This record gives sequence, C-alpha cells and structure tokens, in this order.
Amino acid sequence: MWTPARQTAIVGIGATEFSKDSGRTPMQLATEACLAACADAGLDPTLVDGMSLFSMERNHEIEVARNLGIPRLRFFSMVNHGGGGGCATVAMAAMAVHTGAADYVLAYRAFNERSWHRFGSGVQGHHASPEANDVSFSWTSPFGLLTPAQWAGMFATRYMHQYGATSEDFGRIAVADRRHAANNPAAFFHGRPITLEEHQASRIISDPLRLLDCCQESDGGVALLVTSAERVQGLDQEPAWVAAAAQGVAADQWMMRSYYRDDITGLPEMGVVAEQLWESSGLGPSDIQTAMLYDHFTPLVLPQFEEFGFCATGEARDFIADGNIEMGGGLPVNTNGGQLGEAYIHGMNGIAEGVRQIRGTSVNQVDGATNVLVTSGSGVPTSGLVLSAEGA
Amino acid sequence: MLWRMTGDDAVADSALDASLQALVGRQGTVQVAGDPVDGPAIRAWCDAMSEGNPSFTDEAAAAAGPHGGIVAPPATLNMWTMPDRIEGGTAGRDTDQPQHAAYQLLDDAGFTGVVATNSDQAYERHLRPGDVVSAQTTLSGISPQKQTALGIGYFVTTEVAYANQQGEAVGSLSFRVFKFRPGTGRSRGDGPAGTTPDDSPRPERPRPRWNQDQAWHWEGLRQRELRIQRFTGSGRLVHPPVVADPVTHSMDYDWVVATGRGFLYSWTAPEHPKAPAFDYPLVVGLVELEEGVRMVSNIVGVPPDQLEIGMPLEVCWLDSHDDVTLHQFRPARIERREGTLTMGEVTVGDPLPPCPIDVTRDLVVLGALATFDQQDVHHDRDAARAKGLPDIIMNILTSSGLVARWLGDWAGDGAVLRSLRIGLGVPNHPGDVMTMTGSVTGSVAGSVMGSAAGSVTGSVETGEVGAVTVSFVGANSLGSHVHGSAELVLPEGRRGAGENA
Repeated sequence: MWTPARQTAIVGIGATEFSKDSGRTPMQLATEACLAACADAGLDPTLVDGMSLFSMERNHEIEVARNLGIPRLRFFSMVNHGGGGGCATVAMAAMAVHTGAADYVLAYRAFNERSWHRFGSGVQGHHASPEANDVSFSWTSPFGLLTPAQWAGMFATRYMHQYGATSEDFGRIAVADRRHAANNPAAFFHGRPITLEEHQASRIISDPLRLLDCCQESDGGVALLVTSAERVQGLDQEPAWVAAAAQGVAADQWMMRSYYRDDITGLPEMGVVAEQLWESSGLGPSDIQTAMLYDHFTPLVLPQFEEFGFCATGEARDFIADGNIEMGGGLPVNTNGGQLGEAYIHGMNGIAEGVRQIRGTSVNQVDGATNVLVTSGSGVPTSGLVLSAEGA
Repeated sequence: MLWRMTGDDAVADSALDASLQALVGRQGTVQVAGDPVDGPAIRAWCDAMSEGNPSFTDEAAAAAGPHGGIVAPPATLNMWTMPDRIEGGTAGRDTDQPQHAAYQLLDDAGFTGVVATNSDQAYERHLRPGDVVSAQTTLSGISPQKQTALGIGYFVTTEVAYANQQGEAVGSLSFRVFKFRPGTGRSRGDGPAGTTPDDSPRPERPRPRWNQDQAWHWEGLRQRELRIQRFTGSGRLVHPPVVADPVTHSMDYDWVVATGRGFLYSWTAPEHPKAPAFDYPLVVGLVELEEGVRMVSNIVGVPPDQLEIGMPLEVCWLDSHDDVTLHQFRPARIERREGTLTMGEVTVGDPLPPCPIDVTRDLVVLGALATFDQQDVHHDRDAARAKGLPDIIMNILTSSGLVARWLGDWAGDGAVLRSLRIGLGVPNHPGDVMTMTGSVTGSVAGSVMGSAAGSVTGSVETGEVGAVTVSFVGANSLGSHVHGSAELVLPEGRRGAGENA
C-alpha cells in the first residue's frame, strides 16, 4: 500500500543532449543534467538536500554535491539492480520528502556508454577513461596514503595540533571499549581489558595512530528487523522505538578524505545528522543515557561528542577524562565493547547493542537507559539513530 | 675480490704498524701560506656555499658589523694552507710533515684510498684579507688496522695549530682521515659505502588515473608545473578540481601555476602495513599552498620527528612512473635571518629549521675548487670511478662550509661561529639532496669566550653575549653525510644595547 498517494510531485526535469560522443565526462553530464532540472523548477541547487540513485550510477552523490556546492545532504540512497531501479529512485525520493527526511531530492543518471565504454560490450577489463569515483583516489594513493588508518591519521594530527589532544586521549576511548568488551562473552576481546600504558606501548600504525587505536578486522553478521507501530503487538520483544533516524553529508564531502574544508578537525556530516536527530526526536544530549559511537579509529570518536553537543568543540578530551565514558560514568559508550572490543561489523553490532540497552538485556546494562544514541561511520557520508523505550 | 690476509701480510702489517706508530707525536715544520687571505678567494667561497653574510664580502656593511671590517668565513680556516698553497711547496708529499710520511708508508703498503672522516675546528681570531696563515701539524694518532664498510685501513689523526703573520693563534683543527686498501669494503664492492646493490625490481607506486577533467593538472606536473584550477568568471581556485564552480556553477575554467610554496597543515606517517613501492619512514602531508588550496603530498627531506605543523615547504618533483611526475614537498630553504638571533630567543631543545641542499655537480666541483682542494675525486668523474666510486664526491671543506652557511642563515649576520666539529658518513654525490636538521643542545649565557667572542663585544656591551651549542645532521638518500656540533656566540638580546623596540 503506497501511503503518500498524490502528496509528492516531480517539479523539475533536466537533460543534456543525447549523442554518440558527448565529448565530456560523465560527471559533467550529471552536473549539467542536475543543474538543468533545478533551473527548470526554478530552485536554487544549494537547497537540494537529497539524492536518490540507482546502482551502476558511477557519479556518486558526494561528487555531484561538490560541483553543485550543496552544503548538506540529509537523504541519499542507492537502489540496487541497475535499470530496474529507475522509478524506484522516484519512489525513494517521494518517501523522503513525504516523511520530511528531505525537502528537495534529485534523481539522475548520466554516462558515456557509447563513446567511453560501450555498454553492449559487456565486462572486458577496466575502462580507459576513469570516472570521477576512480579518479578521486589519485589525489592520495600515489603518495602512499592507502588505508583507512592512514586517512584517519591526517585528521588526528590536525585535531591534536588544534586542541592539544594527545595520543593518551585517543587511548582512553580504547581503554573504555576494551573494559566493556572484557565483560561481554560475545566480544572477540572478552576477558582481555587493556590499560592506557598498553595502549601507549602499542606500535605505531600510521603516526599518530597506534595499533590499539584501530578496530579489528572481523568475520560476522548482524541483522535488524524493523516494522511499524501497529505491527509491534503480537511480536515477542519489547520494541526499541526509532525516535529519530537521519543521514548526513556536508559540504565538500569525501570518503574519509575530506581534507579540503576550511577546518578538518570536526565531522560536519555528523553535525548534519545530530541536528536532525535532536530536532525530530525532541531530545538532546542530556536525555541520552548511553551511546554507541562509531569507533573504527579512536581519533574520530572525539569529535562525535562535540558534533552531538555533549561538549564544546575541542573539549572532548576533557569530556572523556576520568572514566566518564565507562560504566558508572556520565555517558557510558560502546557498552558492547564497540568495534575495537566486540567486533567490526561496520557499526551494525552497535545498533544491536542499542536495542539491548533499551530492552535492558546488555551485559553492561546502563541503569535507566531509555534513550540511546547510535552513530555510523565517521569521516564518510553517515547516519545516526536515537532508539527509545518510549513509543509515540 | 676480497683481500685476504696471509702469513706474509701479517708480518708486513706488523712492521707497518711499528713504522706508523713511530711517527705518532711528531710535529712537522711550520708551513706558511704562499698567498695571503684575499677577497677574491673569500668571494669564490661564498658563491660556492651560497653564503650571504655581508661581513665576508661587503666592505661597507662589514665595517658596521661585529668585526669592524671584512673577515674570512671561519670555516675557511684550513683552506689557506692546503698542500698546493704552501709557500715553496709542491703538489707532492713533504716527508718533513709526519702525516705525509704516514700517508706515504700506507700508500706503499697498498692503502691508497683516502677519505676525510672528521674535522673539528675551533676559531680563536677571525682571519682578515692580507693575513698570511701558517700551520703547524702534529700527528696525534694512528688507529690499529680497522675494517669499515669502505675497506680495511687506518685512521690517521692530526692536530693543526694555525697562526697569523704576527704569530697570534687564529684557530686549531683536529683532522682525521681513513686510509684504506681499495676493494676490501664490506659491501662486495662497487657501490659507495652505505649502498647495497638492489636487484629486485621495485613495484611502482599506485598509478594516478585521470580523465579530461583533470588531465591538464597531470600534464602540468609532467612539466614540473603545479597547476590549480581557476574558474575564470569568479576567479575561484579549487583543488582537487571539479567540473563546475561550486557557487556560480560556471563551467569555464583554466588554471594558475602555483608558486610551489606553502606550509604543512597536517600529516601522518604510515608504518604498517608497508607498501613495497614506498620508502619508509614515509610522510604524507596535507600542504596548504600560498594560493589557499590544499593538497596531499609526500613530505621529503625531513624525518617525522622534525615535522611541525605550519613549517614552510616548497615543491620538488618525483618521476614516479615512465609517464607520471608527482609533486613532493620539502622544507623550504630558510630565508637568511634579518638581524641576529639573540640568546633570549633560544631555548635548549629548539629545533633548527630544516634545510634541503641540492647537491649539484656544480656545487661539488665549485666547492672543491673554492676550498683549494684539487683532489681528482671531487671534480673528475672518470678518476672517481677508477677509485671505485660511482661519481665524484663532495669534499669535507665544502660540507663544513655548507653547514656553516646554514647555521649563519639561522643565526644571522652578527652571530659568530666559535667551533665547528663534523664527522662524515656516506658521500654526497651529484643529483642527491642533503637536508640539514638540528637542534639547540646547550646554552651558556653571559660568558665571553676568546677573542672571537671578544669581537662581538665590539658592538654589544662587554659581557652581554652568550654561546649556544647546536648539534646537526645532514642526510641524503644514502644516509647521514655529515653530523656534528657547533658553538655560536650570540648577543644576549634582553639587555643588549642594539635591542629594538
């Protein structure tokens, strides 16, 4: 049953010319088509806050957003299965604008499937003309910046310089995670807490990141089942209500390499998420009893406290001091052990732990946990949730 | 082929050892320079070293400087009495000189190779044009036979006392050379010390990929131009490039060629996992260019522990693939200090600004000639190759001169070098880059040392000076070429009469 019938509309269309040899890159065609659709609608492109793609689209939304100068994206999705997804991009966009997830959503397709790599020739090695997404690594990889830890290291050095944070401050995140994991039989590091001294003694991976600043590589899987309020009755568990859910992309967004913004010590895409979560849930930092913060690398946990308003910019090192993020502290974090301690399932295990906190079944149960913050990847286009024990 | 010791050799060596040790302690006759210290030689030296202190070259500025007139750069101390400059001397060996007698014994025994390894200079009094320098040498020590990377041989140490025509002491030199038997080095052979033949092909760095939206940037790098995208309507600069101006959405752009100057905004030093295409330590920096855009690049010529956010950088280049050139950044050559560093501005532990020095063929040859060093390995590649070196090598007086120049760039025109002690490691060959790094290791306020310091007091109240000690390393692609320490006399600063508001 399609809920928002006759309540959403396509208000602009745009296109390039159609040819056998455009003479331009697919990124330029995508940019031209999106600008044309906005012009047709009479909309300032910087007001676009959603992008709806379908798979085989090689012009990623963050690249198009860089060209359009879009300051934030709150909704972006990729429907699978190529050509079958065309109308689905509109369906997703319609759901987004109907629910308020976004105000204006662009859906697009652009390529040179005749002049660059003939679509009809099938899969025959890689293409002579790389597309924008292939090119983006050329600004870093030839210099030996190859791994996520190395990408994170660049942010960490600047954060330390700007706010006086130290490797020990990063270590406090790892110590908290490992303390919580030590108590969790499902955690890889069950029974194996670490001290700050052990963190400081661990080898450098990419200065200033040490081994114990980096999450594990894991095998495993996590799944979540979501339904609507009227279907909650009759199921076996107490619901963990989605009090708010949001996505975020900020200006000049890259995949863990957003090095070209005025300031690189924050996570502005997390700020886009935070603003929406607090606004739509009606909650704020003081209403949260525990948080599952994405912790692939400890230095990128600190700015999350700042973006969500748990503390002021640059003051996360003070916020996390004295065990404040451990059990018994003001805001216990990653009570499952996080990705450093439990497992690195790309944050999905953090969502599951958020649900357990709401149900009251965590091995490190926080008393009175009624609202839990969960975040996804930091330094990338991201998302977040507030889970709550209280429904509507 | 490895030289092997036989019973006969052992007997011969023991006889050689005895003959050598008999020379230790002997003092040679005084040798007098055939020509006085003169302006043209000083200027040639300053040109070769890129020395900018006007006290050495500019009559008017020198008159107002700490010495009241032109002086010779202290590091030239031992060049005025180089073998070819001695009054009545010849290019040959003078066996009245104990060190020459020792060299001759060693040559005859097959230890024909020679490299200078240490030069410790102390300066008592500045030389001025017209001064006639004399030198008296004592052979102070000969080591037992040693095996080094270069070969089997002997370290020969001499102490030289220098005086002027009035018989006043001007300075002293402790000098050590290694005399070795060519072909007996540890490293199988042909390469210079510190190199090992590497026959495994190294994988290439990840190849950058581009399309027509960025090709102009990579074509620029190929021509050693750092091109930044400029939207022609708004003048906005964007890097990495886009297709549309993010504000105006204009698609009309060209580029500007960046100056190549910038500063370090952030960095990381990857250690694990190591990628075989790269040398470690590897530094990847985020460089903010003068033009205001940032780019990711390698930072070269400076070890990770000397990196400082905000340090000035300049572009250099790496031909990483047959058809790809990458930009790299290295510490910018520091601007020579205006005025003079004062004691009040120095704290023990302060780093000195790193400084890359391009070791060009010109620098090696002109440096040798400007220091009156006519040994063929410093200017003749064929001769160098015949002696087992891959190319000509920088002479020790040039290494000293470059260190002195770098220290002067840091400390300024009024600083006075009191001593310079250096040890040499791997050679400086043309085409390499040597980067100087160092730090302040000691500081003594308010002391007056010798008449070199005394000449500073000509412009600063008596006693209002101090001395700092710095230690330094000049490293090239093979390793450490030069390391050592130096003392500089500086004005006190806080109480100095010349202090500006």
